[in-house]
Amino acid sequence: MLELRLVQGSLLKKVLEAIKDLVNDANFDCSATGFSLQAMDSSHVALVALLLRSEGFEHYRCDRNLSMGMNLGNMSKMLRCAGNDDIITIKADDGSDTVTFMFESPTQDKIADFEMKLMDIDSEHLGIPEAEYHAIVRMPSAEFARICKDLSSIGDTVVISVTKEGVKFSTRGDIGTANIVLRQNTTVDKPEDSTIIEMNEPVSLTFALRYMNSFTRATPLSNTVTISLSSELPVVVEYKIAEMGYIRFYLAPKIEEDEEETKPQI
Amino acid sequence: MAGKLNALEESLILKPITMSGIETLGILDEIQALVSDHLQVVSYKWLSRNFLVSSNTAKRLLEEFVEKHGSGLEVVYALSGWLKSSPPSYNIRLVSGPKLAEVKQEFDGNCSVQVYSVQASIPKDPAALWNAEFVQAEELFKQPSLDNCLRDNRFCGISNSFVKRSVDGTSVSIAHVQPKSSGISQLSKSNSTGQKNSVPPPQQNKIQQSSPKVGPLSPNVLKDVKAESNSTGVHDQAKPSAAKEKLNPLPASKKKSQNDKSSSGTGGSLANFWGRASTKAKPGSAAADNLVSNSTASAEAQISVREAAENCCSDDDAEDVNFRRAARGEGNRKRKVVLDLSDEDEYEDAVNLGSPDPPKRKSDLDPKENKKLLVIGKPDLTPNKLKEDKSEAKEVKEINGESNQSPRENSAAVSKRMKTETSFTEKTHNCVSQKDINKDKVENSVPNSPKRKKVLKTRIDERGREVTEVVWEGEETEIKRANSSETTKKADSNPTKKADSNTVTNNSTRPPPAKKSPALGSTAPSNPGSKAGTKKGGNQKDPKQGNILSFFKKV
Repeated sequence: MLELRLVQGSLLKKVLEAIKDLVNDANFDCSATGFSLQAMDSSHVALVALLLRSEGFEHYRCDRNLSMGMNLGNMSKMLRCAGNDDIITIKADDGSDTVTFMFESPTQDKIADFEMKLMDIDSEHLGIPEAEYHAIVRMPSAEFARICKDLSSIGDTVVISVTKEGVKFSTRGDIGTANIVLRQNTTVDKPEDSTIIEMNEPVSLTFALRYMNSFTRATPLSNTVTISLSSELPVVVEYKIAEMGYIRFYLAPKIEEDEEETKPQI
Repeated sequence: MAGKLNALEESLILKPITMSGIETLGILDEIQALVSDHLQVVSYKWLSRNFLVSSNTAKRLLEEFVEKHGSGLEVVYALSGWLKSSPPSYNIRLVSGPKLAEVKQEFDGNCSVQVYSVQASIPKDPAALWNAEFVQAEELFKQPSLDNCLRDNRFCGISNSFVKRSVDGTSVSIAHVQPKSSGISQLSKSNSTGQKNSVPPPQQNKIQQSSPKVGPLSPNVLKDVKAESNSTGVHDQAKPSAAKEKLNPLPASKKKSQNDKSSSGTGGSLANFWGRASTKAKPGSAAADNLVSNSTASAEAQISVREAAENCCSDDDAEDVNFRRAARGEGNRKRKVVLDLSDEDEYEDAVNLGSPDPPKRKSDLDPKENKKLLVIGKPDLTPNKLKEDKSEAKEVKEINGESNQSPRENSAAVSKRMKTETSFTEKTHNCVSQKDINKDKVENSVPNSPKRKKVLKTRIDERGREVTEVVWEGEETEIKRANSSETTKKADSNPTKKADSNTVTNNSTRPPPAKKSPALGSTAPSNPGSKAGTKKGGNQKDPKQGNILSFFKKV
């Protein structure tokens, strides 16, 4: 038996909007600690990890660990039927092959039940090691989204370099090049508008903008985004979900042309 | 009679359980987790194979489990005995717990009752009962090594220590290995591996244990489990196959294609390379080398594709790269060479870049060194590298084609290289000859086309490495004209050069020049198609895009 009641139902809607383009099908894992998801995109270049802790739910009941395979497109279709202020309750019975989303309007005068079929998904759960990152950039999420969008109109890849001076996003395309430099900036009125750069050593990595752009669909979830970079690791783009958890996107870097140290082919 | 049998069985069962009493506790816990958390059907067969216990022990374990944790679980019993029906027939039935007593009545006299499986609930579809074990059996059969219970009869009541299974006989999954006329040394070798295999290694156990997580009761899981077994067992797989090739050079091509598959597969095998990234070691450079020479080679090929439309290669990946490079560089091409200065030999190569000196380069590039080279993007060096690889491919092909008479060490050498080479060799030996031609053309294009200049620029990049860039300037049409006549001439001079490079490693087999022409003809038409194809799916197969699986391991 599973019953999760989320007062701020719009959160779930936003989460789905954030990941549904990246991942088609995924297993939602429910345990006593929370509601989580880990999935790779079909080309195995990016990985999304979602956690909604049980404390964030008004009511959280999960008798035994449950993994529910859902088509995220379909789930998003159903969640779109929920109003932004609705309370969303996720229900599933043990052994059942369906999940029920219940939407209650804030005034309790409308209650909708949507039952969705589950599917068997073989997910490859990856162990993500804790890592020290060379550089961590925290910046307004809208700014990041804007940068990715702008750069993608010029090139396919973005080089993110963090130095003492700041963080530089640059791209190059047929029509020319673009560089956007953000400097550390903590003197703004609102803390969420600040750009904070923690750097242990300079790092410069290349990523496909296509993926970055799809990560920025999580922008409505959080005012700030944290980008963690290490030269030998995938970048982590993290959006905190207020008081509940996070959504993290991992993206494997592109192997730069001057170090064609590609993956071994055995 | 049945009762007697039961008693006998009981006594047989009891023995192993007392022997393995300590481990069983752990297994019981595992069963608990599997049944209640993973909702898996745990049958005695599955249990037996997964924990490498005999099936009798497994049944016994399940019984114990049912006694201890049976409440809230569904149990399926296997009843066997003579039915009461008029012509008495021997019958084995699977019965769920509540119906047990009822069905027992149908049997004449005693029947044996054993736990068949335990599960959280009786599945609607009876097939789900054996799904898990079926998946497991598939997996075990696919394992190339001898080392699993389906490959030998380790749990058989009768055992004869003198009877050994030979490696050749069982390794069907690797390749069709014909038991070759085996010398005594070989025989003893296979014997020894057989012995080793009969000891259940803990690692094996672990691999199998990971499968329940992946394989929860759905038929469509099959494929993925396979993939997983690939990924976890890559090293295991590589080793036996290499050994096999030492025995017989014939399956080389087979094995190659398999390697091919595992490397191009969605990355299951890549999961092993997390270690590479974290330790910053560069064992990957061997393969990277291949890849690099592949891509550069293709760029090379591309030049000549434009120059002479009849020459091309059908290499998909190569085309992919071609396209991208073409898209990026407008008029002039730019390529970089990064040379790791810590390696002296490479530096020598760097010197060579400036002033091409074919014979010397050839001697430099022995296969060992080949692996060390990090990146070679220089137009007039790559062909050489390429040729090196190609000649290897040739060798392989030759040996394959030439029955088993080539010297033993030769084949061993090939198999060793095969391990590092992968698909590239396969691809290249299709277009070996025309790439050689291409190479010559490129070299020749320099003096022949007045408008085309090669500029060598060396600088230190931001990371402190020396970067040598070769910039080609000029119009391709020009070159085309200049070279069209050249092509045929050069083609003739090629075989000798190729032969040169062959002598480095192989002397018995020589590529007959005749092979060239069919390769040319067959690959030429396929080129435009594949090129167009990559244009569409450009981003999908980007060779430069890293894979997340190379960073995060599966759990």
